[in-house]
Amino acid sequence: MSSKRKITLILVGSISLMLLLFGSSVYYFQSNYSYVDFYKRLATRVSVAEKYYLEKNDVNSQSLKRLRDEHLEKLNDEREYIELCKSPSDLERIANEKLLPIDFLKTVYSNTSASYQKNNVFYYGMRYNKATGTYLVIVSAKNYYSTHHLILLRNVLIGSGLVSIFIIIYLSYFFSKRIFDPINQIINKVNSISTDNIHIRLDELKDNSEITKLASTFNSLLSRIEIAFETNKNFISNASHEFNTPLTSIIGEADVALLKDRAPNEYKDTLQKILEQAERLNTISQSLLFLAQTGYKENRLSFNILRTDELILQSKVIMDQLIPHNNIQIDFNLLPENPMKLKVSGNKELLILAFTNILTNACKYSSNKPVLISLASTNNEVVMVFKDQGIGIPESEIQYIYDPFFRASNTGAYDGYGIGLPLTRNIIRIHGGVLNISSVQQQGVTVQVKLPIAKLL
Amino acid sequence: MAKTILIPIDFSIESLNTLKLALEQNKHEPLNVVLMYAETLSSSITELLFYSPGKTIQSLTSLQFNDAITIIKNTYESTLQLIRIELFHGFTKSALANFYEANKIDLVYLPMHYRLSIKKNAFDPIPLIKKSHIPYHEVSWNSNTRATNEDELNQLFKQ
Repeated sequence: MSSKRKITLILVGSISLMLLLFGSSVYYFQSNYSYVDFYKRLATRVSVAEKYYLEKNDVNSQSLKRLRDEHLEKLNDEREYIELCKSPSDLERIANEKLLPIDFLKTVYSNTSASYQKNNVFYYGMRYNKATGTYLVIVSAKNYYSTHHLILLRNVLIGSGLVSIFIIIYLSYFFSKRIFDPINQIINKVNSISTDNIHIRLDELKDNSEITKLASTFNSLLSRIEIAFETNKNFISNASHEFNTPLTSIIGEADVALLKDRAPNEYKDTLQKILEQAERLNTISQSLLFLAQTGYKENRLSFNILRTDELILQSKVIMDQLIPHNNIQIDFNLLPENPMKLKVSGNKELLILAFTNILTNACKYSSNKPVLISLASTNNEVVMVFKDQGIGIPESEIQYIYDPFFRASNTGAYDGYGIGLPLTRNIIRIHGGVLNISSVQQQGVTVQVKLPIAKLL
Repeated sequence: MAKTILIPIDFSIESLNTLKLALEQNKHEPLNVVLMYAETLSSSITELLFYSPGKTIQSLTSLQFNDAITIIKNTYESTLQLIRIELFHGFTKSALANFYEANKIDLVYLPMHYRLSIKKNAFDPIPLIKKSHIPYHEVSWNSNTRATNEDELNQLFKQ
């Protein structure tokens, strides 16, 4: 069952139940009251009749009669019975003569007063003791009120209840439709989005309702998916290009060599070139494998407590071997006095690989201009800043630098595969750190690495 | 007795270079630091009713700025005893003299080339400081050659 129907049913059900309770209680108490009230009216008439018939000579009784005729409303089918009853055996005779119920007479006789109802006729009786004997004074009348007013009340209650239930059904349907229509629209729109038209976005209203928030959440999710799609596409095209170049040159070399018989020297030369390209392919696939490995969250890496300043110095030593003419300067001006604030928990090989990757890029793209490494620490993080004066990264391309095999448009003159930076970022991520790259083209790149300080007991 | 030095700031990380260089020059003695931010006080009585210096300072400091201050604290842990940020609301020399007296300022360091960036309600207190009776030192560093608008920790690492 859809939520729309469910809400409608719940609303209608609960409100109808309340209406039913309300109407039936009104009816019940009203009818109860009408009986009590009618008996009271009968009792008044009984006592007036008593005074009038049985104390005839009294002046009071005369005025009472006048009062009764003038002011007391004549009830429907009102009858008065004044019966002399000398002994209980007379009761049966009275009952037969006047068609009065015998049980009622007996109760009046023994209890001094009683009330009784048969069909729609109401009786009220009182015993009156006089010197001449015991009298039973009984007044009976039809309860016009209960027959007519109560039926009218019942009909009004049922009628208005039904009308209001219809109104409620309509209103709750209308409201649930109003609430759920935007959601259904979102569902339809999202259903219509597939891989081909992932650029489509939901309409966001201006208000701050939950529906708008849902739409904007969907939109940001779609944006992220779209970016992931783009990255994937880029990766495939870049990777196939990277693999293709060495393969083409291998095939080309081999083809040319096989065109005709050649001197052993020429074969050697060709094989050498083929080997070079094959090694290049090997490097690419190796580093790709490494990238994939570091991309997993769960790694069986051993983490040790390491001092970042030592890591930087060791990376510098490695850089001196790799690029002998480098111009790396280390700035320890802001080094914290407390060495505990330099310690991070990490894998030494991976961190050194990450730092040397950053430094290699810095040296390579700046043609060995000075590279400055600074080290500092806040209370939670060690901050390392690598600043070079190289060619920089074009501003429009800075969002793609973490895509594997992506190379900025101004790197044509430099050798590389575009795997170093994504690898570095993966390594920093494994260590719970943050890698931040900002750049101004032709002025250099600033790489900021933040690693969380190891919590030692 | 530790000396107290005063440094005007604008809550940018670059302005903290004054602090870094001042601490560098006073490496061998204990120091207290008062970072002063000059701001005109609102003339609206309802705003003054709910005025709170703590909240003003909190709204002006960024996470990066706090990080930069902790970096400096960690670097000069043994000499730097206390860093406070104070708001200054005066315009006159005597108001500044009162501020000095209240905060027991012994020395003032000013940036030589860097111009404090003036935000809403703020003003540059350096001309006023230069007229006051307390001796001041000027320090300079290579100003930001790169035209980045970002207020980044990197600005602390210049030489």
